[in-house]
Amino acid sequence: MEPEKLEEILRVIELCKSVQGSSANPFEVDIVEKIQLLKERLPEWKFLDELLLDSEAMLELAQIVKLQDEWLKHRASSLYIDPLLIQLKVKLLAKNELSDAFVKSWHPTVQLDQISPKGLEKAFIYWRDLAPMSERFKEEFGSYGVKPGTVGYAELVELGIFTSQQFDKELKELYEVLLQKSNGNWIDYRGFIDAKTFEAKVLRAYLLAFLISDGQASLRTDPLSGQVWVMALNEKASGAPRSVALAVAEGE
Amino acid sequence: METTDRALLERKVRKAFQVLVLQRGRNPGVKGWELKRHLGRDYKQIVEVLSEDVSPLGMEVFEVKGPEGTDDTSRFLLRFKEPPTVSEAETSGIRIDDLAVLASTIAFVNSKQGRAARREVEHFLRDKFPKWRVEYSLDRYVKRGYLEQDDRGLLHIGWRTRAEVDEKTLMTMILSRGSKEVASP
Repeated sequence: MEPEKLEEILRVIELCKSVQGSSANPFEVDIVEKIQLLKERLPEWKFLDELLLDSEAMLELAQIVKLQDEWLKHRASSLYIDPLLIQLKVKLLAKNELSDAFVKSWHPTVQLDQISPKGLEKAFIYWRDLAPMSERFKEEFGSYGVKPGTVGYAELVELGIFTSQQFDKELKELYEVLLQKSNGNWIDYRGFIDAKTFEAKVLRAYLLAFLISDGQASLRTDPLSGQVWVMALNEKASGAPRSVALAVAEGE
Repeated sequence: METTDRALLERKVRKAFQVLVLQRGRNPGVKGWELKRHLGRDYKQIVEVLSEDVSPLGMEVFEVKGPEGTDDTSRFLLRFKEPPTVSEAETSGIRIDDLAVLASTIAFVNSKQGRAARREVEHFLRDKFPKWRVEYSLDRYVKRGYLEQDDRGLLHIGWRTRAEVDEKTLMTMILSRGSKEVASP
C-alpha cells in the first residue's frame, strides 16, 4: 500500500476519534466524502492490516453518524441553548442563585439505607473466612501476589537466562540461517520457527521478532489464507515499522 | 371490587412500596423486570396506584426510561413530588457551593448537546469556583450518578439527574435569573 493512501485512512480515523473525544459538532465530518474515499481505496487493499484499517475507519464513521443523530435529537429538544449564552448567564449569577435554581428543579429520591439480618450474616461469614493479606494470593499465584506480566530482554539478561553476548550470538546465528534458507525469497514463517520442543520454537519466534524489528528481516501476511512469510534482508529496511501480532501455539 | 381482589391489590401495593424504598445495591430504585418478578405482569398498574397513595405524603413514583426504552429496562423510584426548600436541602448536608457546581455543570453539558470534555467543564467552572472544589465536586457527582464520565474523559448527564432534576425548569430558571441580572446593572 502506498504510504499516502494509508495516511488518508489514518487521517479519517483520527478525525473521527478527535470529534468523538470532544464536544465538537459531529456534522463537521463529511461522511459522504469519507465513505467515497474508503470505497475508492477498498479494491487496492490486499493485506489483513489494510483491511482491518478500512473496517476501523468504517466503524469510526458509523460512530460519528450515531453522534450526529444524538446531536440532532438534542438540538431539537427544548434543552438546547447557545453555549455562549449559558456561560454568560452562569458567570453573572451568584452561587446562591445557582443553587436556588437547582433546588427548585430538584426532586430528591426517597430511600431507606439499612442492613438486614441476612446481610449481617453474610458480612460476618465473609470476615470470618477472609485470609490475612500475606496468605490471600498464595494459592492463586504461588507467591505473595505477583501477577503474570511481561519479561523484557533486559530482565532476561538480569535473570541469567541470557547474557548479552549469548543473545547477540544467537541473533546472528538465526539471521545467517534465515539468510541461507530464504536466499532472497519469501519462506513460510511457521516452518522457519518450527523446532523439536515448544520452548525452542518460542525462542526462535522471539529472536526472529528482534530481527524483524531491527529491519534485518521482513514479514508478509496473507489475510485470506492466514499464511505468513518471512525473508532475510541484505540491507536494513528503512521504511516505517508496523506491528503484526502472531500467536505461537504448541503443536502447530 | 371484590374484597379478595382489594386485599390482593393492597398487598401488592404494600410490597411495591417496600421494594421501592429499600435500597438494593448502590443505586436507589428498582428496574422494571425486578418489579415484575415481585408483583407480576401488571406491575405498572400497581406502581400507579402506589404513586396515588403516596401523593398525600408529598411523594411520587417516577420512571426513568432505560436505553432500550422498554418498561422492563426502566428504573422506578420514589421521589419528592415537589422540590424541597433551600434550607431543607441544606439540612441534608449538601453545601450551596456543591449545588451551584452541579447546576452550572448540567447547564453547560446540556448546552453542548449533552456531552462535554471534562477539562472543558473544569475550565468553565474555575472562573467561579476554586480548582479543588471543582475537581472534588465533579468526582463526587460522577460517583453518585448525577454525571457520567466515559473512557474518553467526556462528561454526560447521569441517570440520577434524569431521575431527580427537572432539567427544563433548571435551564429556564438559570436563563430567566440571568436576564434580571443583565437588565439591572
